[in-house]
Amino acid sequence: METIPSSRIRSHATALPSHSTQSSSVHGRNGTATLPLAPKKFLPAKASCRRKSSINALVGLQDGAVAAAVNPVEKEVPFKTLKDGLLAFTSLEENKDTNGDGDSVSITVVGASGDLAKKKIFPALFALFYEGCLPQHFTIYGYARSKMTDVELRNMVSKTLTCRIDKRENCAEKMDQFLKRCFYHSGQYDSPENFVELDKKLKQHEGGRVSNRLFYLSIPPNIFIDAVRCASSSASSGNGWTRVIVEKPFGRDSESSAALTKSLKQYLDEDQIFRIDHYLGKELVENLSVLRFSNLIFEPLWSRQYIRNVQLIFSEDFGTEGRGGYFDNYGIIRDIMQNHLLQILALFAMETPVSLDAEDIRNEKVKVLRSMRPLTLDDVVIGQYKSHTKGGITYPAYTDDKTVPKDSLTPTFAAAALFIDNARWDGVPFLMKAGKALHNKRAEIRVQFRHVPGNLYNRIIGTDLDLATNELVIRVQPDEAIYLKINNKVPGLGMRLDRSNLNLHYAARYSKEIPDAYERLLLDAIEGERRLFIRSDELEAAWALFTPLLKELEEKKTIPEYYPYGSRGPVGAHYLAARYNVRWGDLTVDQ
Amino acid sequence: MAAATSHLSLCSSSSSAASLSQTQTCSFFKKEADLFSRFAAFPRKTQSSTWVRRVRPRKSFQLKFSSNGSPLNAVSLQDSGSSVAKKGLGTQEEEASSFLYSEPRKAESTLSITVVGASGDLARKKIFPALFALFYEDWLPENFCVCGYARTRMTDEELRNMISKTLTCRIDKRENCEDKMEQFLMRCFYHAGQYNSEDNFRELDMKLKEKEAGKLANRLFYLSIPPNIFVDVVRCASLRASSGDGWTRVIVEKPFGRDSESSGELTRCLKQYLAEDQIFRIDHYLGKELVENLSVLRFSNLVFEPLWSRNYIRNVQLIFSEDFGIEGRGGYFDNYGIIRDIMQNHLLQILALFAMETPVSLDAEDIRNEKVKVLRSMRPLQLDDVIVGQYKGHSKGSKSYPGYIDDPTVPKNSTTPTFAAAALFINNARWDGVPFLMKAGKALHTKRAEIRVQFRHVAGNLYRRNFGTDLDKATNELVLRVQPDEAIYLKINNKVPGLGMRLDCSDLNLLYRARYPREIPDAYERLLLDAIEGERRLFIRSDELDAAWALFTPLLKELEDKRIAPELYPYGSRGPVGAHYLAAKHNVRWGDLGSED
Repeated sequence: METIPSSRIRSHATALPSHSTQSSSVHGRNGTATLPLAPKKFLPAKASCRRKSSINALVGLQDGAVAAAVNPVEKEVPFKTLKDGLLAFTSLEENKDTNGDGDSVSITVVGASGDLAKKKIFPALFALFYEGCLPQHFTIYGYARSKMTDVELRNMVSKTLTCRIDKRENCAEKMDQFLKRCFYHSGQYDSPENFVELDKKLKQHEGGRVSNRLFYLSIPPNIFIDAVRCASSSASSGNGWTRVIVEKPFGRDSESSAALTKSLKQYLDEDQIFRIDHYLGKELVENLSVLRFSNLIFEPLWSRQYIRNVQLIFSEDFGTEGRGGYFDNYGIIRDIMQNHLLQILALFAMETPVSLDAEDIRNEKVKVLRSMRPLTLDDVVIGQYKSHTKGGITYPAYTDDKTVPKDSLTPTFAAAALFIDNARWDGVPFLMKAGKALHNKRAEIRVQFRHVPGNLYNRIIGTDLDLATNELVIRVQPDEAIYLKINNKVPGLGMRLDRSNLNLHYAARYSKEIPDAYERLLLDAIEGERRLFIRSDELEAAWALFTPLLKELEEKKTIPEYYPYGSRGPVGAHYLAARYNVRWGDLTVDQ
Repeated sequence: MAAATSHLSLCSSSSSAASLSQTQTCSFFKKEADLFSRFAAFPRKTQSSTWVRRVRPRKSFQLKFSSNGSPLNAVSLQDSGSSVAKKGLGTQEEEASSFLYSEPRKAESTLSITVVGASGDLARKKIFPALFALFYEDWLPENFCVCGYARTRMTDEELRNMISKTLTCRIDKRENCEDKMEQFLMRCFYHAGQYNSEDNFRELDMKLKEKEAGKLANRLFYLSIPPNIFVDVVRCASLRASSGDGWTRVIVEKPFGRDSESSGELTRCLKQYLAEDQIFRIDHYLGKELVENLSVLRFSNLVFEPLWSRNYIRNVQLIFSEDFGIEGRGGYFDNYGIIRDIMQNHLLQILALFAMETPVSLDAEDIRNEKVKVLRSMRPLQLDDVIVGQYKGHSKGSKSYPGYIDDPTVPKNSTTPTFAAAALFINNARWDGVPFLMKAGKALHTKRAEIRVQFRHVAGNLYRRNFGTDLDKATNELVLRVQPDEAIYLKINNKVPGLGMRLDCSDLNLLYRARYPREIPDAYERLLLDAIEGERRLFIRSDELDAAWALFTPLLKELEDKRIAPELYPYGSRGPVGAHYLAAKHNVRWGDLGSED
């Protein structure tokens, strides 16, 4: 229900009624001056909580005209409360009702008893509540088929809640407050009647306020449509917004994905669909654009002229471990590459957007995807892990998993070389690598720069310094860091060069815990910030790239290269890299 | 091993020796290979590292790993191989420099280092300790002797006593230190004489000849004496104590005159007795680790060179500060002032190195050619672009710090600047319009030397729209901290982790202390070694010196003619505020005075 064309300003005060006990929170509600079409205003609120940029593109939809409530007095105060003195911007909540009572948000987790809900969604919601980022009036509903009471749900949820390390006080209290807002409704996913019942319950909690409703579909893809149909027809908000968060998989090829999109669009508008890709919510992926666009020193280097190749690397140190039922039908390419890694690639390679607004960014991302050369079988290596015994412990092969067919050819590892045929990136290989049951767990982006033309030091060293190029590494997880490898003189008499790192180690620099990607994305969905969600045309372009390859792999029954559980993956990945004159950066002695 | 190294040194001791005929060297290799065939494992390796060394004495370039983890380059493999070989063969002394080549020794040649002015402060605090460090690290040739020369009557033993008080061992390997000291001191001698007495130098010559025992004699004179007797000493040394068959080199310390005329005169006099390539004008700032690294950073990394111009760099700051005054030693200083003492040489040299075009090679003449070009492209300094200051007394707590003119060695009405800030411009295609700001001062609140490169704002910064504040001020900055606590860091704008979108200036860091456990050698060690090896890259050529003086002389004259009164600033403060107004005039903000450096 955010509207005001030129301003969408908000901040959520802590969820406590009346004034929060935290002095640093800002209430943009008391003594409000109503400024219709107010210009963009940035008022710092709690440092940890939100900002919102003005997003003109989102105008209107189901939302009525609104006025922004701005309390001018508050402007100066919060700056003082920002102890770290950093640039901060947050904004006031756009107050939709003139009485200043606030809207209500109901978050319904469909599939509440599932793994994702328990491990990620509820904890993320609690974290948002804990940080004061949720609106004052919110309700959380679990929806699933199992019979459960509210108390049972609360018990289940409470087991996974944790408090931020950096402020443990009041944690138990906060948990109690949070759990009191959690309810459960049992029903079938395809039953409009059950959703009507849900609607009634939600209405009760909304108590006549403007009702905004967010549905998080944490359910298998085959019941997506049923749930969307029922929710949309029977439990949509009458006067506020209704949004649906959908998790991957979004189909398994162009056709099935298009069919899914088409079905969703029968019941939802494009701007109601929030396709989540939780990698886009990772701190360092978010930071990628900041690095690039707010520092002078990187942008000049960001092209084929200076970048030799880009590597996107994802690895897990465990296999399917009894959960191969879903995976075997998809494989690593669909599970990781076509979505997570490709999204990061698009973000990395896009042209400078007109603004940071969601539509502008997504427009640029689509352009990248559409400039890409479709993948060919030649440019892909696939692998599957086999069993391995190390120090008395035997690790199972993929096909040893009870949930996996014995003759499965599903890749658990894949490496691919991709190319963007545009002016900026022509000829620069973008290498992707993703695998399960490897020797470590990590996700990183590596940018290898070209050699120094006419390197002066080459002449005296007599060796090939051209191999010792600069490299920018963005380690997304674990242990977030950014570092730039530079050639440096080793201190001492004599002239030896050595690669050193210019380092930014998050753990050393920032004491705050980094929020989970789901927190960011849930908050974005609540606030209608679509930047990190995948638009239908993006999805389509992504599938168009991978579908021919996936078809070919499956039709030809290409046999994956086997690699031992816990190893560095199949050697085929090296030969693929070598073909493009690239060397994987993550497999060297000094990474 | 000893036999092998003795061959090597033929080519390593001087440029003239390096020009030994190819054929000769090749035959050495052959012999050496034969010699080593007994130690079946390593002959090739030793041989090829020899080759590298022949190409470039001492400078063993090595790269640990290539970016892509490609195997070590050939040389470094051989390098480590040969050090293994050395260990294997039981030559323990090599271990000290196992990851660098040890200086090859030459049985047939000798090196005599004569420190003229041996009883002076510089000699005791810097020169003798640096020589000892070189000896300790095995960089000195096998046959060397150190001779102190001064007017004071002293025995060899007294000299040794004096020297031994200032010798220290490297922190990272203290073993054998006593032994090494003993060995070193045994090579030190003293000769008393007048600085202008040819007879006394002839006596010195005889003594040196004795030590040299008929071997090829190379002689290095280090003039650690006041400028007024430079020429006398050079005359005597050159006429009476030059080497007959080897090289003779003279290291000269600043001041090199006090303006274009006096400097020109000094150069002319020196050249009566010495050829250009015998004169080694030392500027010890050029020997600092991070100044040496400046060129490495720039020329061996792709990511910096594209940024190195007016297109991306908004300004460059060269900052020097000391946290003490002249403390009773104003006699010399008052006649020169901070501009001559620090700016015209140290800071200007760093500036030239920073701003030069890519040289044809790293050879001394190529680099110095480029530096001269920079100096000659510079706009002469205007009085408008300079501010001068002088520290005054200041009481802090119960302690009282004296003003400059309170010093008994300084005239009461002195207007000599102890602080100066200046804006310089290079009128060439690369740097047109980019202010190079220099700041140097004594009795300030910190002791440091650093180079700061402030980059331009991000054109059309996307994030600016979201912030009410001026992101254009939060530009990138590259800082090379030369001293203390060497470091390189690059300030970048980064997202503060968390749900909001807050930007923050973070550093991409390289702190030397954390990365390199080895102690960083003193600048004098590097420079002495370079002089011994005939590497002139870090010494100042006559035409560089002329160009440097040509820039500063008109300004200095004007300051003195007009008797410009310096802005007074309290001892221990951040210097006169005039420096800020100077910076503001050129739209610059000093980077060292921010809340977080």
